[in-house]
Amino acid sequence: MTVLYILVPIAILLVVIAIWVFNWAVNNGQYDDLDSPAHSILFDEDDPAHLAAQSQHDDQPATKTPDDKSL
Amino acid sequence: MCCPGCLAVAQAICGAGLESYYQHRTERSANPEAMPRVLQEELELYDRDDVQQRYLQNSQSKQNNGEQPHIQLLIEGINCAACCWLIERHLRAQPGVIDASLNMGNQRLSLSWQADQIKLSSLIAGLRRIGYTAHPYEPDKAAEQIATENRRYLRRLGLAGLMFMQVMMATMALYEEFDQDLTEGMAHLLRWASLLMTTPVVFYSCAPFFQGAWRDIKNRRLSMDVSVSLAIGGAYLAGIWATITGTGEVYFDSVTMFAFFLLAGRYLERRARQRTVESTARLVNLLPPSAVRIQPDGSSLRIMLDELKTGDTVEVKPGESIPADGRILHGNSSVDESALSGEYLPIAKRTGDPVTAGTLNVEGPLQIEITALGDQTRLSAIVRLLERAQSDKPRLAQLADQVAQYFLLTVLLAVVAVGSAWWWLSDLSTAFWIVIAMLVATCPCALSLATPTALTTATGSLHKLGLLITRGHVLEGINQITTVILDKTGTLTEGRMTLEQIQPFDGHDAEQALHWARMLESCSEHPIARAFGRSVQNANSLENVPGQGLQGDCEGHTLRIGKPDFVSALGQYPAPPYPDAPGQWLLLGSASAPIAWFALNDRLRSDAVAMVAALQARNLRVVLLSGDQSPVVQRMAAQLNISEAIGNADPDEKLAYVQAQQARGEKVLMLGDGVNDVPVLASADISVAMGNASDLAKTNADAVLLNSRLLTLVDSLRVARRTRIIMIENLTWASLYNLAILPLAALGMVSPAWAALGMSASSLLVVLNALRLTRVKVQTPQQPITSAVEISA
Repeated sequence: MTVLYILVPIAILLVVIAIWVFNWAVNNGQYDDLDSPAHSILFDEDDPAHLAAQSQHDDQPATKTPDDKSL
Repeated sequence: MCCPGCLAVAQAICGAGLESYYQHRTERSANPEAMPRVLQEELELYDRDDVQQRYLQNSQSKQNNGEQPHIQLLIEGINCAACCWLIERHLRAQPGVIDASLNMGNQRLSLSWQADQIKLSSLIAGLRRIGYTAHPYEPDKAAEQIATENRRYLRRLGLAGLMFMQVMMATMALYEEFDQDLTEGMAHLLRWASLLMTTPVVFYSCAPFFQGAWRDIKNRRLSMDVSVSLAIGGAYLAGIWATITGTGEVYFDSVTMFAFFLLAGRYLERRARQRTVESTARLVNLLPPSAVRIQPDGSSLRIMLDELKTGDTVEVKPGESIPADGRILHGNSSVDESALSGEYLPIAKRTGDPVTAGTLNVEGPLQIEITALGDQTRLSAIVRLLERAQSDKPRLAQLADQVAQYFLLTVLLAVVAVGSAWWWLSDLSTAFWIVIAMLVATCPCALSLATPTALTTATGSLHKLGLLITRGHVLEGINQITTVILDKTGTLTEGRMTLEQIQPFDGHDAEQALHWARMLESCSEHPIARAFGRSVQNANSLENVPGQGLQGDCEGHTLRIGKPDFVSALGQYPAPPYPDAPGQWLLLGSASAPIAWFALNDRLRSDAVAMVAALQARNLRVVLLSGDQSPVVQRMAAQLNISEAIGNADPDEKLAYVQAQQARGEKVLMLGDGVNDVPVLASADISVAMGNASDLAKTNADAVLLNSRLLTLVDSLRVARRTRIIMIENLTWASLYNLAILPLAALGMVSPAWAALGMSASSLLVVLNALRLTRVKVQTPQQPITSAVEISA
């Protein structure tokens, strides 16, 4: 049971680290938006249609400009 | 596709390969036509360095060496998660955008981009193309404070939670019931370790309880905070004593557990209410962000609103908001003052007439000389009235605090009596430990969780039904309401003109007449014109005569639409008499003869009658209070079967009326939408704003009817009643538990292990009971509709 003399201080040290990590996360805004991340995983990042349109868009960036004026 | 606007949005979305937006969206998107127009010219102002500087986030730009600007944009038109995805995807695909992340809760987009690659104005214009409006967001003090407060709450909660688990582990070994047979040195170590870990919880996490208790004691009031502080403080001090002397029990696990449960309850309640509330008081939104100033040399220049000075001349085109109070120098037009007065028809204005900031120019271009700006405007006067009303607002008593008073008195009396009895029978140290055991055992954990948990779940289910609660007292207060005051325009009615009836003259077809009327009205921004809907073809050589009507060529005919005199003047025939029916009548005519009458009206919402009937069935007094002309108000009151109706009331009179009712002892619920309702909303015991209300009304209301469905209000009454029942159940159970354990503690039979077990069990029961509020609601949202319809039928 004498091992407790080491384990208890280690437990305290661990909880201090855990609190420090938690505070870091809070201050970094990790908990500011709890709604949208839950949904965002549902969307396909590598949607083929989107990738195709994007590469097309990269090829001809000039096509976008006339629309800006038509607003 | 209902209109060209929707078509353009859909094309832009599909063109970028983002079709899966349509698979994932759970709500229909807003009609792009209904959104405020953003002018390209105005957007370009945001590219100016001095303008951008106001919105840029300093801390962020420092990190990036100032190379990449970082800005927060407030996005309008977000309905569901698919919108967020669409906006983020769209922006990230743009060259030069480094990061874009959207917070769905407060609808704020944080965006960083490379200034040399793409302009901010073209990013905003791109968002506009996929159907969203974005404004640069200038964080104000209040919003910042709420955000830091939220983070502080979360840090307190996290600390208490992590410490609670560790302390529980350490103290469990000390429990007699587990018979660990510890050596004296080991027990000492565990006591000191748990004291060390409890201390930050008491001083950091529990600080708000002690502050609240101190405030209440100074006000000579006993509240839940006093009772909580007494239990935590007592048990903590006794624990220190026990640790130093090495005798007696430590209740540190109970202290930290109690702190964690309570903080969790309060944090969840707070979060449930603040979901979308953060969108701060943005009065400026009624005002345009920029204005066109006429320079002394006659040229015009677009400037930001705050660069405007008294005495300047500005030009306001049709469809734009008037930026400041002023006097018309040139031009004839009509001005939509509905936001300020509740009058839904535009008012004709001529040279020399005064105009008010925040109202909308409808028909012709105006040149205005600015007479008052910012704080001096009529709009700001309403805001000041609002502040006065808020400070006079009566407070509704909260159930939990009432119970806490009785509870605390009972416990304190019992503790004093039992403590002195033990002192007399035995010795001081026995009496001390008995008193501590009683304080811990009766620690009102379940009692103080009883109401927050019920309120949190009820707030959540009401949000699903479509009522967003922004202030804490609504759910409790709504049960005490005796009078419901309703605004007319925009609340009971839809707040816009709709075409009700077409009466063609002999030899003409209604379809054909409507087609021509659409062609004529299609280009106009007037609310009357919008009632006709959009047409693919436009009339040629269109002329607009403000206050009279329109003239144009449609398919070879020269036609006029508008006032009868104006129309008949085209063909020199006598004007036909108005049809005998209520509403706004417009005549369409050619050079030879009149063609058709069109009846327009601000239509009642489809569930207005049902709502009034359902409210009256609950024995609530219903009053119609409007700024509109009396006859219209009386007619509508008759239609809705409301016996009390007051018309022609300006914001001051409305406020005075509500305060007079409150002085008579009535508890008032006000349902309204416009800026003119804002002071009344602030003074009513409970205020509810419509979802399409002005921002000022929404941010100052206690609750917002998100879907603008009036019957949701009736549902909410039902939910509030259920919530109250659950709260009373919870409070009864918690008090019974505490009273039952009091005698056991008084006999010295409650050890730390039993105290911890009893506290968790009773808290769990209270939470589970509160959770019933989520289940019931999802099953029966439709039920009140049918019952309300039966009543009205």
